[in-house]
Amino acid sequence: MRKVLPKACLNFFCILIYIFLAAPIVVVLLSSLTTTEYIVFPPKGITLRWYAELINHPEFMQSFTLSITVALGTSIISTIIGTMASIAVVRYEFRGKTAVTQLIGSPLLIPSVVFGVALLQFFSWIGLAASPVALVVGHFILTIPFVMRLVVASLVGFDRSIELAAKNLGAGSLRVFFQITLPVIKSGVIAGAIFAFITSFDDLTVALFIVSTDVVTLPVRIYTYMQYQYDPIITSVSSIMILLTVILMVVIERILGVGKVFSSKN
Amino acid sequence: MQAELEMNQEQEIQFKQMKKKKSKKRLDSWLLLLPALSIFIFFFLLPLVFLFITSFKTFDAATGIGHDWTLQNYAKFITDQFYLGVLWRTVKIALITTLAAVIISYPVAYQITKIRGRMKNYLTLLVLSPLLISMVIRCYGWVILLSNNGVVNNALMKMGLIDKPLTLLYTEFSVVVGMVHVLFPYMVLSIMGSLERIDPSVIRASQNLGAGPIRTFFSVVLPLTLPGIFAGSVMVFSLAVSSFVTPAILGGPQVKVMSFLTYEQVSTILNWPFGSAIGFLLIFIATITIIIYSKLLTRSEKGVAIQ
Repeated sequence: MRKVLPKACLNFFCILIYIFLAAPIVVVLLSSLTTTEYIVFPPKGITLRWYAELINHPEFMQSFTLSITVALGTSIISTIIGTMASIAVVRYEFRGKTAVTQLIGSPLLIPSVVFGVALLQFFSWIGLAASPVALVVGHFILTIPFVMRLVVASLVGFDRSIELAAKNLGAGSLRVFFQITLPVIKSGVIAGAIFAFITSFDDLTVALFIVSTDVVTLPVRIYTYMQYQYDPIITSVSSIMILLTVILMVVIERILGVGKVFSSKN
Repeated sequence: MQAELEMNQEQEIQFKQMKKKKSKKRLDSWLLLLPALSIFIFFFLLPLVFLFITSFKTFDAATGIGHDWTLQNYAKFITDQFYLGVLWRTVKIALITTLAAVIISYPVAYQITKIRGRMKNYLTLLVLSPLLISMVIRCYGWVILLSNNGVVNNALMKMGLIDKPLTLLYTEFSVVVGMVHVLFPYMVLSIMGSLERIDPSVIRASQNLGAGPIRTFFSVVLPLTLPGIFAGSVMVFSLAVSSFVTPAILGGPQVKVMSFLTYEQVSTILNWPFGSAIGFLLIFIATITIIIYSKLLTRSEKGVAIQ
């Protein structure tokens, strides 16, 4: 009895928390099925009408394509440059190393709103208009601390003798990197790329300052739409995004395993 | 004599080669860092420095930024009751969020570390999934749940607990709820990390000495995980103080926080200098808390080591 009661309490409490965690997501998914003109939960009747309605709103599709492009660009650039910088930081000793690592880690300390404002002022001064490139630059800064943390973690425990062996056998530095180093630190690099993609795809704060009327990312589109309208179209867009995330997660789980992705994070 | 000279020459050649190798290595490291550093200096450091300069400029209604230097932007914030109120609200919301996050994360982290096998993976995934789903969508879910004819109010009225709907949305309450939901995974990860580092023999020792599960928890497990709780709290607090999306969607203009004030000054009122000043005050607060927390953290880690 002494052992069972605390455990039952713990489990009960945890179930309540899991409900709390799932509630907003479930509510969005279910209310996208309503037949009414307004959002209601539980939904009245079941229809896919609000998904079909999306055809009349090509702007959501445009924003979706833009967001995917920007997120892919950010993820690729951030991962390549981040991996290079991680190798420099882990493997070489040079003056100003701590300053460099602190500088690259500092976006975590700067509120994104302030960074967004600073970037907007700077972009308008140098005349760089709202464009996918401007968005990628902003998101690069936001994502690189995560990428570097993950890649550095996978580089630290690296046994360098296999690299030396390859070198002794006559392989050039590039070949050593692609055939020996990269396969070993693969999980850190992929985890970094995924985090960069998700952070960029999800970013509202910085994008809010950079976007213009023709260049609007999906989170900004959803945010501005819900300021003025309260119809279920938002819930169907959101549901599609949730489903895509779930699919992405299943794919990652199949390739890498959840434990791996998140354990290297600490 | 001859041999000695040769030796010296050889050493010199070796030394030169080493030096060459070293300088080549230094060059390599800077080449590898060059792209990251140049983007950082050009698109991160410079914009922030310029914004800092802007915060000391006068406001000009026509162009936004005037030509004269002033401390007025900071003075205006510190002397005005309204702005100080916003600052206090921001800190208060972040503190409550951090506390609530600790309370609800701990049991979950504890339960997950106890479970083994497949179930553990699924639960970890469930707990971390909020990180992967767009923040805007999650906050929107809370809008549906908390609005006047929303799910929570309807349920409470059906149960007969209230007669008319409670105002839940666009209050400090809704902002805290949304923020706890958004920041929860960070706290769970941090606490899980410190729970997993506990040596199981310590717990067995406590049980062998006759302590029940509750006593073991409060006098052995909880003190050992304090560093994890502290680390998680720093992260959650600093993210909560500076977060924008959640207060913007779930609080709006009714519950103004520092980040929303910055946004409003810059994009609606177009008072760039004042907006930048608010932004830098926000950076200042976030940095100060992190410094205080990390001082506390090193002290508590020492405490644990002594125990």
